[in-house]
Amino acid sequence: MTRAGAMLWAKLRIVRNHFASVRNESKLKIAVVSVSAILLWWGAYYGFWEAFNWLRRFGADPGGISLGDIIMSRLLSVFALALFFMLIFSNVLIAFSTLYRSREVAYLLQAPVPWWEYYIARLIECVAFSSWASAYLGSPLILAYGITNGAPWSFYAAALAFYVPFVTIPAAIGAVIAMILVRIFPRLPRGGMVGAGLLAVGFFFLYLRDVFRSVNLADANISGIIDAMSRTQSWLLPSHWASRGVLAAAEGETRESVFYFLLITSNALMSVLLSAAFAQFVFYPGWSALLGHDMSRKTPPGRGVLSRIDPVLGFLREPQRALVLKDIRLFWRDPAQWSQFVIFFGIMAIYVASLRDRSAAFESATYRNWIVCLNIGACTLILATLTSRFVYPLISLEGRRFWVLGLAPLTYRQLVWQKFWLSVCTTSFFTITLVMLSCYMLRVEPIFFALSLYSIIVTNFGLSGLAVGLGSLYPNFHEDNPARIVSGMGGTLNFLLSMGYIILVVGTQTAVMQWRALDAYAHARTFAYALTAAVVFIAVLSAVSTWLPMRLGLRNLNRAEY
Amino acid sequence: MIDTQALTKRFGAKTAVNSLNLSIGAGEFFCFLGPNGAGKTTTIKMLTGLIKPTSGKAVLGGFDIQKDPVKTKSLIGYIPDTPFLYEKLTGREFMRFVAGLYQMPASALNGSAEELLELFEIRHVGDQLIESYSHGMRQKLSFASCFLHDPKIVIVDEPWVGLDPKNIRFVKDYLKQRTREGMTVFMSTHSLSIIEDVADRIGIIHNGSLLHTGTLPEILALSQNPGSLEDVFLELTRGDEV
Repeated sequence: MTRAGAMLWAKLRIVRNHFASVRNESKLKIAVVSVSAILLWWGAYYGFWEAFNWLRRFGADPGGISLGDIIMSRLLSVFALALFFMLIFSNVLIAFSTLYRSREVAYLLQAPVPWWEYYIARLIECVAFSSWASAYLGSPLILAYGITNGAPWSFYAAALAFYVPFVTIPAAIGAVIAMILVRIFPRLPRGGMVGAGLLAVGFFFLYLRDVFRSVNLADANISGIIDAMSRTQSWLLPSHWASRGVLAAAEGETRESVFYFLLITSNALMSVLLSAAFAQFVFYPGWSALLGHDMSRKTPPGRGVLSRIDPVLGFLREPQRALVLKDIRLFWRDPAQWSQFVIFFGIMAIYVASLRDRSAAFESATYRNWIVCLNIGACTLILATLTSRFVYPLISLEGRRFWVLGLAPLTYRQLVWQKFWLSVCTTSFFTITLVMLSCYMLRVEPIFFALSLYSIIVTNFGLSGLAVGLGSLYPNFHEDNPARIVSGMGGTLNFLLSMGYIILVVGTQTAVMQWRALDAYAHARTFAYALTAAVVFIAVLSAVSTWLPMRLGLRNLNRAEY
Repeated sequence: MIDTQALTKRFGAKTAVNSLNLSIGAGEFFCFLGPNGAGKTTTIKMLTGLIKPTSGKAVLGGFDIQKDPVKTKSLIGYIPDTPFLYEKLTGREFMRFVAGLYQMPASALNGSAEELLELFEIRHVGDQLIESYSHGMRQKLSFASCFLHDPKIVIVDEPWVGLDPKNIRFVKDYLKQRTREGMTVFMSTHSLSIIEDVADRIGIIHNGSLLHTGTLPEILALSQNPGSLEDVFLELTRGDEV
């Protein structure tokens, strides 16, 4: 067995042992997570299926080709392109963690493993780690596409065959970017690093803003949409090779499909080879520089952002103040945490800012109300992502330091509620600002402005309660990596319940805001009753989503032995 | 077996190890002693090839660790203070994984692995997941896996954490016995009594610089007020924390 083979063998054994140890978990937990995962997959499949069917009917001309047919054939390209760039981005993060940061790296590097062999084994791990989520969410799309179009079996076989080389290329690109960043960043002074980071984020957001403005789908005609979609079909892009090859297989064009398959496979193998050659020279100096990076603080005591937050929190009593300061400091000093926060809300802010470009369609109150509902949906989805990603692991992250809190003159009730209020206050600031801005720019009626504001405020409570409560109910004190804590059973349950909660809140609000559009079967006079019922329902739902998980989580912490 | 020539490591403006010159022969038990932050772990990281020296070189078993890392590392066994072990592997699976990393033939693996698991008294838990091991059992597995490929040089960083007195005695005796068979041991520890028991030679490092090397009597003789190794160490390092 080669050394890379030994590393991969160990990983496969770990996966097998993980699955084997699932039988020791609670049957209820396994059932809830399994059923939820199946339902989520089925929901995605159903959504895609409905959307593709609608597209097929769109502009249909009996006996001819519908506009939907033209758009649908290009949708795969759009999906493949979006997936390709998302995979590059996620692979930069995964490669950094896998190649440099995970605990096993030092152990593996003291063994007689050539750098390129170490790199190949870790790259395969990156491919596996980054591709499973896209496979889970991409498979319902491919299946729905195939069934809607009555594709032959060769379409599904080709989708499977193209997937492996398709995900390998962004993994190799992501790993090379990560290695370059590791070589560059320790050499930069802190000011330079912050400047470069801000510049990169600025360019990214400017690019997004440009994209939002150039493709104004609200006013675009069909040819404009098709033209916009054709921009994703550059012959130089692996996403284009994959989508063309899969579609050719569906149409029985075997020669063309095989050509694209060989093209993408040879490029995938070449990308692995080139990146391994790159790693042979670049990986070790980067790893050594990272390990020898000067970690001493440059900011004198009393200076810097964190020191200025301290007096601002003077109104809090101890020990809550100490806990809040500690959580903020840990969050601020972990760029992997706050950078995701910035990206999520940055994209949303750019989107809201682009609402200034008023199209003719914005003149319609119904249309504006729909956009407000969708905005609330997007905002709450981002909020749920944030509470699932950052708030849920807060209790688990106390981890092996839990004894410090356990011995302190502080009750678990204080600890859990401190996390809750920290979450509510932080996320409320961003979400309320975004909703107010979008309502203001869309000139929404005051009553709906107030309703939107109300919904987002109570959602902050509901989602924070779910995240903190379930984080206390299913704590994982053995793991220091928030991403791994979140991917556990409790984290998955929290995400799924958060999604269910959002659907109910946003669905209720949408029903009220579209009341006038529904007046064919809901009389306008009943609007006041509907509004009151919606407000009460959202309040009760949010109260239950806050109180119940918090109570269960607190009870679990009080019962647990450490 | 271990030669360092002006080995230096700087972290920014701070010099962690300053021009270290060491020569340790085959079958020698060398103990490396110094206060916290003196540069012991940085030296070990350079010897094991985990970090690049800023200048100078480390030659182990005749190979420069920077120029020929794979050949050099195949001669070395390393036991860190907090061993890394895959929690979701069993003890035997971990031994097999290590054998793969060191390219051991399957025939050699089976005999050696079982012998070592038996020797370190963890054979009975060999098929249990490592996550169920106590700290002491993990440390024993780390020892067993380190000796699996029969290293010529063993580098040990504070190995006593989590071991009970019986096991400390066992490990001490085992390492000493292996040095008699020709293996070189480079051990960094704060346990002065153990150093007094096992060391052929002692090196004292302080603020990144090697202050003295010598046998126990030679080190003891450095003090103007002869006493224990602890007294001498504190005097040489001017009362820094051990």
